[in-house]
Amino acid sequence: VDVKTLPRPLQGDEEPTRVLESYPLNCHPRYFRLTTHALPNSQSLHARWHLPLGAVVHPLAESPNGEEVPVINFGNAGVIRCRRCRTYINPYVTFADSGRKWRCNLCQLLNDVPAEYFSALDASGRRYDADQRPELNKGTVDFLAPAEYMVRPPMPPCYFFLIDVSLASVQCGLLEVVAKTIKSCLDQLPGSPRTQIGFITFDSTLHFHNLKSSLTQPQMMVVPDLDDVFLPLPDDLLVNLSDSRNVVDSFLDSLPTMFQENPNVESATGPALKAAYMVMSQIGGKLLLFQSNLPSIGIGRLRLRGDDVRAYGTDKEHILRVPEDPFYKQMAAEFTKNQISVDIFAFSNKYCDIASLGTLSKYTGGQVYFYPSFHASTHGEKLQYELARNLTRETAWEAVMRIRCGKGVRFSTYHGHFMLRSTDLLALPAVDCDKAFSMQLNLEDTLMTTQTVYFQVALLYTSSSGERRIRVHTAAAPVVPDLGEMYRQADTGAIISLLSRMAVETTLSSKLEDARQMLQLKLVKSFKEYRNLYAVQHRLSGRLIFPDSLKYLPLYILSLCKSWALRGGYADVSLDERCAAGYTMMVLPIASTLRLLYPALYRMDEVLTKPSEKENIDELLMQVPLTVQCLDSRGLYLLNNGLSFILWLGRMISPDLINVILGGNLANFPDLSKVQLNENGSEVSKKLTKVLKTLRQKNPSCHQLVHIIRQGEQPREGFLLLSNLAEDQSAGAAS
Amino acid sequence: MATDPSALGAPDPDGLDAIRLTWNSLPRSKLEASKCVIPLAACISPLRSNSNVVSLPYPPLRCKQPCLAVLNPFSQVDFNAKIWICPICYSRNHFPPHYQSISEDRIPGELYSACTTVEYSPYESNPAAMPAPPPPVFLFVIDTCVIEEELEFVKSAMRQAIGLIPDNALVGLITFGTQVHLHELGFADLTKIFVFRGTKEITKEQILDQLGLSGRHMGPVGPRGPHPQVNGFNHPSGAVNRFLLPASECEYTLNTLLDDLQTDQWPVEAGNRSIRCTGVALSVAAGLLGACMPGTGARIIALLGGPCTEGPGMIVSKDLSEPVRSHKDLAKDAAPHFQKAVKFYDALAKQLVSQGHVLDLFASALDQVGIAEMKVVVERTGGLVVLSESFGHAVFKDSFKRIFDVGENALGLSFNGTLEVNCSKDLKIQGVIGPCTSLEKKGVLCAESVVGQGNTTAWKLCGLDRSTSLTVFFDVSPSERSSQPGHVNPHAYVQFVTSYQNPEGQMKIRVTTICRNWVDSSVTEELVQGFDQETAAVVLARYISLKMEMEEEFDATRWIDRSLIRLCSRFGDYRKDDPASFNLHSNFSLFPQFMFNLRRSQFVQVFNNSPDETAFFRMILNRETVTNSVAMIQPSLIAYSFSAPPTPVLLDVAAIAADRILLLDAYFSVVIFHGLTVAQWRNMGYHNQPEHQAFAQLLQAPQEEAQIIIKGRFPVPRLVVCDQHGSQARFLLAKLNPSATYTTAHEVAPGSDIIFTDDVSFQVFSEHLQRLAVQS
Ligand SMILES: [Zn+2]
Ligand SMILES: [Zn+2]
Repeated sequence: VDVKTLPRPLQGDEEPTRVLESYPLNCHPRYFRLTTHALPNSQSLHARWHLPLGAVVHPLAESPNGEEVPVINFGNAGVIRCRRCRTYINPYVTFADSGRKWRCNLCQLLNDVPAEYFSALDASGRRYDADQRPELNKGTVDFLAPAEYMVRPPMPPCYFFLIDVSLASVQCGLLEVVAKTIKSCLDQLPGSPRTQIGFITFDSTLHFHNLKSSLTQPQMMVVPDLDDVFLPLPDDLLVNLSDSRNVVDSFLDSLPTMFQENPNVESATGPALKAAYMVMSQIGGKLLLFQSNLPSIGIGRLRLRGDDVRAYGTDKEHILRVPEDPFYKQMAAEFTKNQISVDIFAFSNKYCDIASLGTLSKYTGGQVYFYPSFHASTHGEKLQYELARNLTRETAWEAVMRIRCGKGVRFSTYHGHFMLRSTDLLALPAVDCDKAFSMQLNLEDTLMTTQTVYFQVALLYTSSSGERRIRVHTAAAPVVPDLGEMYRQADTGAIISLLSRMAVETTLSSKLEDARQMLQLKLVKSFKEYRNLYAVQHRLSGRLIFPDSLKYLPLYILSLCKSWALRGGYADVSLDERCAAGYTMMVLPIASTLRLLYPALYRMDEVLTKPSEKENIDELLMQVPLTVQCLDSRGLYLLNNGLSFILWLGRMISPDLINVILGGNLANFPDLSKVQLNENGSEVSKKLTKVLKTLRQKNPSCHQLVHIIRQGEQPREGFLLLSNLAEDQSAGAAS
Repeated sequence: MATDPSALGAPDPDGLDAIRLTWNSLPRSKLEASKCVIPLAACISPLRSNSNVVSLPYPPLRCKQPCLAVLNPFSQVDFNAKIWICPICYSRNHFPPHYQSISEDRIPGELYSACTTVEYSPYESNPAAMPAPPPPVFLFVIDTCVIEEELEFVKSAMRQAIGLIPDNALVGLITFGTQVHLHELGFADLTKIFVFRGTKEITKEQILDQLGLSGRHMGPVGPRGPHPQVNGFNHPSGAVNRFLLPASECEYTLNTLLDDLQTDQWPVEAGNRSIRCTGVALSVAAGLLGACMPGTGARIIALLGGPCTEGPGMIVSKDLSEPVRSHKDLAKDAAPHFQKAVKFYDALAKQLVSQGHVLDLFASALDQVGIAEMKVVVERTGGLVVLSESFGHAVFKDSFKRIFDVGENALGLSFNGTLEVNCSKDLKIQGVIGPCTSLEKKGVLCAESVVGQGNTTAWKLCGLDRSTSLTVFFDVSPSERSSQPGHVNPHAYVQFVTSYQNPEGQMKIRVTTICRNWVDSSVTEELVQGFDQETAAVVLARYISLKMEMEEEFDATRWIDRSLIRLCSRFGDYRKDDPASFNLHSNFSLFPQFMFNLRRSQFVQVFNNSPDETAFFRMILNRETVTNSVAMIQPSLIAYSFSAPPTPVLLDVAAIAADRILLLDAYFSVVIFHGLTVAQWRNMGYHNQPEHQAFAQLLQAPQEEAQIIIKGRFPVPRLVVCDQHGSQARFLLAKLNPSATYTTAHEVAPGSDIIFTDDVSFQVFSEHLQRLAVQS
């Protein structure tokens, strides 16, 4: 197959909003997408669909202005749900018996309508008040949950910081960025005035910080006994932010200098986690771990497992990608049980076993941030943005999520960061707009008897304001007897999202090669099936044909095989970066996944230098195919994979352009990796800044740092840019 | 005698040498010595009476190995040959070159016959060779399991102390309750506290490791660079300066810390005691000091507000229904924590002694805090101990302040003492009772039978001061040769060499050499002449206190009675079986009364006190001078009245009169007791009327005398001012001879008092003694 003949997804993800045309009562696809919006009516049909059958759920996806999710309070009537299958009332239920009964669309049970909720029906059997009631006309609503949905009063938002302050943290300037960022976010932390906050710092000892509101300055309490961690105070380690604001400010002001002279090189991460658990277990909340070393001392101590080249290609290869010490998984289980979600911010320039650390996030609904070779002067801005985003984005607390579906189908496997509490209940101590989940579907019976299958996602959570709520997304999809229809309704984005997670999980129990083969096999089988279906009709035997809905699938799968998590072998990606990439892919929403796999490449020199009528930056930027053949050595190119920007300077590029962009002659910058792009007075520089800003606004979940490279500058060019050129042979090296 | 006699210019009964022996003439044979009943012992106060001691600005000259006795006035000197003969071992020693200029006209100070006690300052002649004096170290350990009010008293005492501590002294702070908080005073940015769990025993190595003083966990090149010196005080792990800072540098930090210091924050369950981990707190303190150079004068000053209820050293459980052990519990072996705790504190004592550091205890609580268990640490390290009911009480406040006083009232707290004893070979050393630890230097001079810290001729005195006293016990053990006529040397020599670091940090060596005569067994007269009954009473009190602690079945009262009878039989003047003929030489005449009062004292009648009080009384008894110790056994009583000047009166209930004021000095307490009439006049305010000046003066006089007593004493005694028939009057009555009890009430003169007791009176006691002493 010649890659260059494949259609290129130059537009990124396209939400399948046309579903709403036929199913206007469905929730918006930004919340819920099926891999194909046509479900097979039999297991035999399903068997011929070689792609995954399933869904991607993004329960708290940010909605554009004007499409805010309505909040509904049923008052005395209580939340109205099916007596049998517990489905929430939704636009697809029907009313009967003059409005006194309602029929569940999932299980068909006829339920009583509570007197408080009664409304008469019109001639067509529709309730008169249907248009006034969002739960009867909108696919996405928030219900206010009464007391029976609580096992305890709704928890306040709680942010607990666990900060490695050993020599490495001090040297890379991490503490200053972290302290300043947290301080700058204090006013925007959700949930004021109930928000709780606390800190533990650690090296070979644990430092608790007494933030009692009556203190004039915080008190550091060092617990050096790692064998048997205990709390140095009964209270005041986790405090109300408003009450203790002065002490917290004072703590954050002194944090950067407090450890300035710390020569300690150890990192007692395990004991620190235990300590944080002891402090937080009563309330729960978000635990943010800032780690700049391999955990080196105390329980959960990790060793340099060494990325051994000899392990690659053998049965033992995957062991390096799974946690070695059961401590991390056990700890994660404890955290989840107590409503604590863990985000990892890792900074080591040496191996720090992201595989093990990330387990904490994986099972607690958290997120892994990895900043290899972090230094404040170059990466500070990225950390600052991403930490601030983490702290200030709307977060749902102590949540559980369940997806119900109508008779005949059932979700079998879930992929993402959560803890599975029972067969279909996902425990999410914290969840936010940057996390998506995917799941696979199975047919329960040989033959489906219904025409339509209904899905209902219900996320029970505590809002930062302290309300217990249930977010409900309801969707319907047709059952079809025809494979062609399944192909027509296929959603490449959802398929890639699901496949990427399945592939990453495969790498945790098999070789990288096996994961890539799994992907390729699915692609080949599905296209073979499609050809069998249409080859006769089109008389096109021997040529690759694919349905329009899946036209980008081959290129995405190719890119997926070349992604950091899956590409190559030993030398192609460092073990930590590979694991970090895997953890990232397990939570990314569809659009971000697609952008990461097939980055946007823009030629910039003309855009920046030529005056244009167009004000809209989007209209100016023209995406070019991801191949080295598209790179003109007289040109300036910008690559955006959603996580970072790469600015490529062609060898023959005009020195004037470089001067205005960098603010100096190229000869002044012997090491481009250290160059920070700053706006200077020139028009070109201003315009470039505007472009970057516009692109960043489109993907607010993380901060894209600009990496500047010059054509031929090895190995950076290969690593940063060429490996991203998915269409080229060289990309992803040994693939 | 109430106060330091040297301060008042009165003759010092202890003399220049500050040494008092039970027997100043020594019985020649072992048999004869045993017949003397009272053991041969010397009470020494090595640092006492400074003013008249000659100071020599050079190191002492020592006899050859293994004797090493110091050149002294009893040495025979051949000025021509430049040779001296050691009186203890008879070795001939050549004077070294720098003594070549001596002659009969030019005698070095240590040879003057009056200079039986001299003090060497070895570095004074060569200051360049002198190591910089290390600053003293004060590590405070403060109990926070107390009520707010008590903590406020502690804070104010601490603030005062901080103001008094010399600028160069290093200061550290540990606070504790449920957990131990070690404050890192050198941490500039904010309050930093190291926290240790109270439940777990922790080794010195673990402590140093956890404090980052062992150098582990540190990067190859710490950004800290070479450790700064503090007052020329450098150490391999100089990082100890994070915790111990010169007072001048941490005064502000300490005061801020005290402002923020709160009572223990951990909840106490109903029906429970506070969780208090005194043992771990002291371990941490000792461990931290372990990082200091050995030989640095350092003291842990612990302020305790209650018993240890958690972890090692625990003396009682948290459950309030379990009372703190009593003497009865100890006797019945019903004190479940006692042995374990003593074992823990014994190990702590060993550690502190090996480091050369001191533990001082200031216990202020209504209940016991565990002094009985901790006694071993205080006594082995030469620490101070003060017992009071509250941190607000004058006994605590004034005593605490005293340890930082400088000038005339200073205690003269010194460090790192070593005592060596040399003696003529017919004497053997049994051991020492007092605030010291054996250095386990065994030799031919060690006796087989041991008393106290024995089997050695050298002892460590981690802490010592101007009043520190020790009792050295000797055995008479003549060799074959020395008992042969013709070889008889009429003199016995004993030399005490005490080296120590004075409060200014200077190295000093105090040498006292004494000479006493041997007497033949037949000559009772000489033995009698040489008997010191005060010293004998004190030595006996210390000896039986030790026996009561060591021997489970020991019956002190019977032992005293039997000894006294034997002594009176041996040295009394009487006709056999004729009690009326019994008479004692004046050197013995007070002794029966001392024994009568000793039998009734807190040292023997322990069941009237708690084990903590007993331990406290005994520690003070063992470390005080003979004069002071006599007051503990037999208090002095002075009567004030219009009719006569202040007069010492018998310690008898008959001393009480309505128109008298009595001043009782029982050492631990000073009681001013107003007779009924005096109290009535005072209540009517007569002393405020100009025409009753004399009455005002009468009231004032005992108050002034009491203040003089209190001022000169450490710990500060409890002052009780009471009236006849008042409830506080028991403090006086308990000490008086019950010559008039309710059984004899009909004989009582009007205006006097009776005592409700079944104790025998001194008269009955004497009669029994006489009868038994003359029995054949
Ligand atoms: Zn139902
Ligand atoms: Zn000699």
